[in-house]
Amino acid sequence: MQQKHFWRFVIGLALMTMATALGQSEADPPVSDTLAVADTAAISVPAPLPVTNLIARDKPNDRGYGISLSWDLSPDDTGGTQSVLGYRIMRSTTPDGPWDSINVAGSGDALYDHIGPRHEGDSGYFPDHTDMYYRVDVLTADPGVAVSSGVVGPVQSRGQWFNTARTVVFLFMIAFCGLVIWFVTHARRGKDLYVRPLAGIEAVDEAVGRATEMGKPILYLCGLGDAAEVPTIASFTILGRVAKRVAEYQTQIIVPCRDPIVMTVAQEVVKTAYSDAGRPDSYNPDSVFFLTIEQFAYVAGVNGIMLRDKPATNVYMGKFYAESLIFAETGTMAGSIQIAGTDEIPQIPFFFVACDYTLIGEELYAASAYLSREPVLLGSLKAQDYAKAAIIVFAILGFLATNVSALGGPEWLAGFVDLFQVRE
Amino acid sequence: MKRQLPFFLVFVFGAFMAIQYFVPHKTSEAIYEFFIDILPIIGVFALALGIWSLTKVSVDKIRYRRENWQYAIFTLLGLFLMILFGFTDENWGFHWRMSPEVAGEGTDNPNFRLLFNYVMIPIQATMFALLAFFIASASYRAFRARNLLATLLLIAALILMLRFTPFFGDWIGLRLSETATWLMNVPNTAAQRAIVMGVGLGLVATALKVVLGIERDYMGRG
Amino acid sequence: MRRSTLIGGSLVVVFFLAAWLIKGAGASGESPYYSAFLITLAAFLTLAVFSFLYADNPVYKFAEHLFVGVSAAYWMVLGFWQTLVPNLIPRISRALSEQLELEYIDELWNVLYVIPVVLGILLLLRLSRKLGWLSRYAVAFIVGTTAGLNFIAYTRSNFMAQISSTFLPLVGDWTSWAAFVDNLSLSATGPLALLMANIVVVLGVVCGLIYFFFSREHSGTFGMASRLGIWILMITFGASFGYTVMGRISLLVGRMTFLLRDWLGIIAS
Repeated sequence: MQQKHFWRFVIGLALMTMATALGQSEADPPVSDTLAVADTAAISVPAPLPVTNLIARDKPNDRGYGISLSWDLSPDDTGGTQSVLGYRIMRSTTPDGPWDSINVAGSGDALYDHIGPRHEGDSGYFPDHTDMYYRVDVLTADPGVAVSSGVVGPVQSRGQWFNTARTVVFLFMIAFCGLVIWFVTHARRGKDLYVRPLAGIEAVDEAVGRATEMGKPILYLCGLGDAAEVPTIASFTILGRVAKRVAEYQTQIIVPCRDPIVMTVAQEVVKTAYSDAGRPDSYNPDSVFFLTIEQFAYVAGVNGIMLRDKPATNVYMGKFYAESLIFAETGTMAGSIQIAGTDEIPQIPFFFVACDYTLIGEELYAASAYLSREPVLLGSLKAQDYAKAAIIVFAILGFLATNVSALGGPEWLAGFVDLFQVRE
Repeated sequence: MKRQLPFFLVFVFGAFMAIQYFVPHKTSEAIYEFFIDILPIIGVFALALGIWSLTKVSVDKIRYRRENWQYAIFTLLGLFLMILFGFTDENWGFHWRMSPEVAGEGTDNPNFRLLFNYVMIPIQATMFALLAFFIASASYRAFRARNLLATLLLIAALILMLRFTPFFGDWIGLRLSETATWLMNVPNTAAQRAIVMGVGLGLVATALKVVLGIERDYMGRG
Repeated sequence: MRRSTLIGGSLVVVFFLAAWLIKGAGASGESPYYSAFLITLAAFLTLAVFSFLYADNPVYKFAEHLFVGVSAAYWMVLGFWQTLVPNLIPRISRALSEQLELEYIDELWNVLYVIPVVLGILLLLRLSRKLGWLSRYAVAFIVGTTAGLNFIAYTRSNFMAQISSTFLPLVGDWTSWAAFVDNLSLSATGPLALLMANIVVVLGVVCGLIYFFFSREHSGTFGMASRLGIWILMITFGASFGYTVMGRISLLVGRMTFLLRDWLGIIAS
């Protein structure tokens, strides 16, 4: 075996033993800080050179309780005698000790984040805004040989009020908010906005008329999402428009709900729609009711309603999962006209195949604006379109930048590409 | 007070939750964790509201002898028995023991487990299995391609469905399987990404409208 | 009740009673008739749900109504014991914790946990005609927090991550023309096949997004791009549909196994 490999083997074994020992005995006395040269007669490992350029600073973009350490490797780590086994991180509240051993970083590692727990009393806790000192010991296969770096400090940990790693997301958020607010204000001033026709939306009016002619109810499902999920909120807005038409045409609406809060909100929405249509007395509070939270029990209940009440039209808007196909097929069996809209991509094909009209993905969110024709909501549609245009531009630019920089283009192109990487 | 204050609160909570993402500080983190913690607790109170609605609709159905009222008795019976067993242990005490032997099933009351295992599970699994029949009828519907779009859908669906069938010989079989993989890897990736981004814009815009109080229908006006 | 319903119902009852007794007679164990009853009940409910495929009928109506009631209560009970009790009680009351044999830790006590109780009660006030409007405060909290959360979550996952994954390289490490045009089949990983695939992905993303433009007329070049977009969407929906078919059919196998093996004992276990 070559000598180099032999040392690697010995060092590996020793590192494992040491890590186990460190992990097991928290009660071990703090390691002495005067280890620099021990019993030289007994060792077979030459004393390595210490680490240099040790820097300790508050860990950026965190909640506090974190210190980042960086250093230049000992020249004996990858080169020289190659006797470095690892780096032991030592911490103290005074420059002179006593020192606590925090952890061991492996050979080749030049970075370590010392992160403490949040709660006082937890093992390893250290408070923010308190001076601390650090030192890094170079370890070798011989436990008696460890070389300390100089002491750095004082350094204090503190929590930050802004995570700079998330700046791009923040800018995107601000830009999008700005776009929406800009177009909404413009729309309020009465600027006429074009929206292209969507078949599924235009079918809603027709569907309500059909139900009136047939003397049958309309079944409206808000999906299986919670009341606070965005697709459900979009569904509430559409429900409001549908219920208003229903009230105007003096038809009936049935809204079975899977979530009690959805039921609460849907009742309020339908009631409001009836008052808006000038028929508050026609509102039947029992038309919006709770079935059960269990997915397939809800499906069983809704299927029963479809087959027994034979609604003229079924409207499915919101979040749907595997049951989408059961609903759509049962509705077809019952002979109802069906209009669906969901942002759940795997369910769109089923709705598309079995329903008469399907709103795909974003069209669900556009539907509320379409149905209301309120300039404010239409204004936000315009903002969405501008954002889409920006996305297309960024996607194409990034795609070009990736390829040009791969062919040896300037470095800032790679920087541009890097901007869009999501970091935690 | 009845309408404006709730909207103001929506704005405050919404803006806080959006901004906290950029604020790593422990104060922001603690409030965030507290909010996330209490949401499910409020949800349980809401469940009581749901049970009330279900009971009321069922009782009304029986009282006014609406169509199929007899079956509402079974809804009430199931509801009553499950609540009775769910809130009592074997000795009819108000308790829920999470002993290791029954931890998976959740309760010490064997009757609760029986209703779960022999009523809920079989019906639930069978409702789910209905999908097998419905996908067959949906496929039949897809085969009557009504227009160009439906035809494209049908062709892609056929390629995926036939990718493992041995009837076409090795050469066609291999091409089918290759095309299926390509469809899933290439156009599928592109379309999913376009939909996800579009949906994302819709979601973000709607969430923003809710926080800013532009979208107000969910609160009613009564 | 109609006579046909009565006769049909009686026949069903007699059939399952017979099935129960036969199963019980053939079973072994401590209480054979009891376990035979349970299996038969489960089989009855399974067939009751399947019967819906033929037409709506009293047996399905029975199973459906029972299922709705049982499951609504099940989730209520679970919510109470698994969410409310462990997450709330030890934080607000020592006496209640002791009563329910929960571990009570002084440090966990947090007066703020009265807030969800108050909000929960406000939500229940919905049942009152006069105070119903107070439930809006609870709705405001739930909707506000979730909307804020979603706003950020979707900005990250649906834009940043998606945009950056469209930055696809066209050419990897260049070696030679021969290597470049090597292996051109659709499933190939050769450089030219990858290049074509990446071009289709970028084009698909752009055209797909163009299809979702609402405030612009889809005509001319824009209209063509939008049409290409919806074609790609349809191909994807078809692929996703075809991909799911086998998975859905396998769901049936589980129920059939239960009926044929566990209940009827026709197939061996």
